[in-house]
Amino acid sequence: MRSLLVGIIAAVLFSQPLSAYIHFNITERGQSIVVKWQRMPVRWFAKNSGVPGVTASDFQASVSRAFATWQAVPTASISFQFAGFTGAEPSDEDGISVLGFQSNPGMDRVLGATGFIVDVTTGEIIESDIFFNSIFPWSTSAAGDPLRFDLESVAVHEIGHFLGLGHSALGETEVDSTGDRRVLASGAVMFPISFGRGVTRDRELQPDDIAGVSALYPDGDFESDTGVVRGRVSRNGVGVVGAHVIAFNPETGHLIAAFTLTRNGDFEIAGLTPGPHIIRVEPLDDGDIGSFFDASDPIDVAFRVAFHDRLAVAPRGGAGDAISVAVQPK
Amino acid sequence: MLIATQNAKFRMRNANYRSCASARLTCLLLVAFCAMARSASATVLLPADFTTVVAESVTIVHGRVVDVSAGLTGPRRTIESLVTVQVIESLKGASTTDTTVTFRVPNGQVGRYRRVLIGAPEFARGDEIVVFLHGQAPAIPTLFGLSQGVYRVVRDARAAPVVIPAPVSARGIGVERVVRGDPVRRPMPVDEFVRQVHTIVERRR
Repeated sequence: MRSLLVGIIAAVLFSQPLSAYIHFNITERGQSIVVKWQRMPVRWFAKNSGVPGVTASDFQASVSRAFATWQAVPTASISFQFAGFTGAEPSDEDGISVLGFQSNPGMDRVLGATGFIVDVTTGEIIESDIFFNSIFPWSTSAAGDPLRFDLESVAVHEIGHFLGLGHSALGETEVDSTGDRRVLASGAVMFPISFGRGVTRDRELQPDDIAGVSALYPDGDFESDTGVVRGRVSRNGVGVVGAHVIAFNPETGHLIAAFTLTRNGDFEIAGLTPGPHIIRVEPLDDGDIGSFFDASDPIDVAFRVAFHDRLAVAPRGGAGDAISVAVQPK
Repeated sequence: MLIATQNAKFRMRNANYRSCASARLTCLLLVAFCAMARSASATVLLPADFTTVVAESVTIVHGRVVDVSAGLTGPRRTIESLVTVQVIESLKGASTTDTTVTFRVPNGQVGRYRRVLIGAPEFARGDEIVVFLHGQAPAIPTLFGLSQGVYRVVRDARAAPVVIPAPVSARGIGVERVVRGDPVRRPMPVDEFVRQVHTIVERRR
């Protein structure tokens, strides 16, 4: 299988996660190519071993539900197929996609992680593996276990990566007097920080997740039924890279966000419910930038929050006039 | 539940799309953010406060990346990279005579293959960084919590070296919401950042 894979993959010049929501892109011959699965259904294997409290069978059932959550998005064309149990490890580069527990004490702050192998000539994902760190206690209880991390919730997040989605910055945190940082709320399953044990609510996707996966794998009337807001963020006339741009729909209450991803400070937020949106621009000055962007990007976090001074209208089936938001330095 | 209640306040069926005052927009959106009461659950990272990052790291160095080499490791031939840092200053663990420190990251490229682990930072020669590392000889150290264990040093508008983002730390004023764009939280001069690390290291001894 490995030698076959060598033949399939021309080159892997995987680059940074840079696109709305964020999607993963590769750059080949100067062209940016979105990384995604191109053949459905996507076959996946479950590792044939469990951890205390979660058998391999429990694991497979829980992860299957997480896959089903993404597959149920009506505006996205994706499907998955469980291919069986395997003794392979999620870290193997073997041409099959494996999900399973793995002990990784060296990542003692990481609950789970997703890796890729991509055909750089097409952007097609050839293999994607997900490991769940077995040094943590896990649960597949329907109601959650206050002493354990909910496997299905973490799986929903990781499968978002598996599909080609990056992290969302739609989240709020607080820090207490001892320095402990706690997540207060999130507008996306793809927010990268854990809430802790026992919480099961990330089993359900939020509008930002749905817009992200639908833009990547559009189905039916997604593009004709939703709208786009485009624009530019600048400081003293110069484009701002890495600004977090949020569209809030006061009618639906939905929050969908993206980043400025070019040196010109351009952004695009697709998958919006047609109608007016409030646009807020903020710096990613409270996060691990490396969790969102490639290190080579000149991310600017030294500016103040700003709002577009008018409502931005996302017309059905297209984009409105590009908007411009000027931010001020801190 | 809370969302449904709050959202009802924002229904603007006859909104004048073009004429809202920015102050009103600001108010609306701020309240909307507060209405995001739906908790996110476990995803990837368990956030560590900065004191914990310092205390639990075996080695902390400020330095510049001088080499990144990828290779196949272990019986399952997993692609990893070894990152070698020329030490500018050892803040913890490394001997003052160590001129370089090497750690491994779970990504890299071997031939036509590149392994990318989402959330694992990538490095290039010339990067100036402060890294927080787990493990010690004979094991090769790894980053504390993937991207949590790296602070990159960049030049600000005045070409002064700063660390971005500045660590989110307690200010001793009780529970405090972390607000993006807070003017108080600025890119931190690297000297100040290093002093902060030294202070925590000394306090924990």
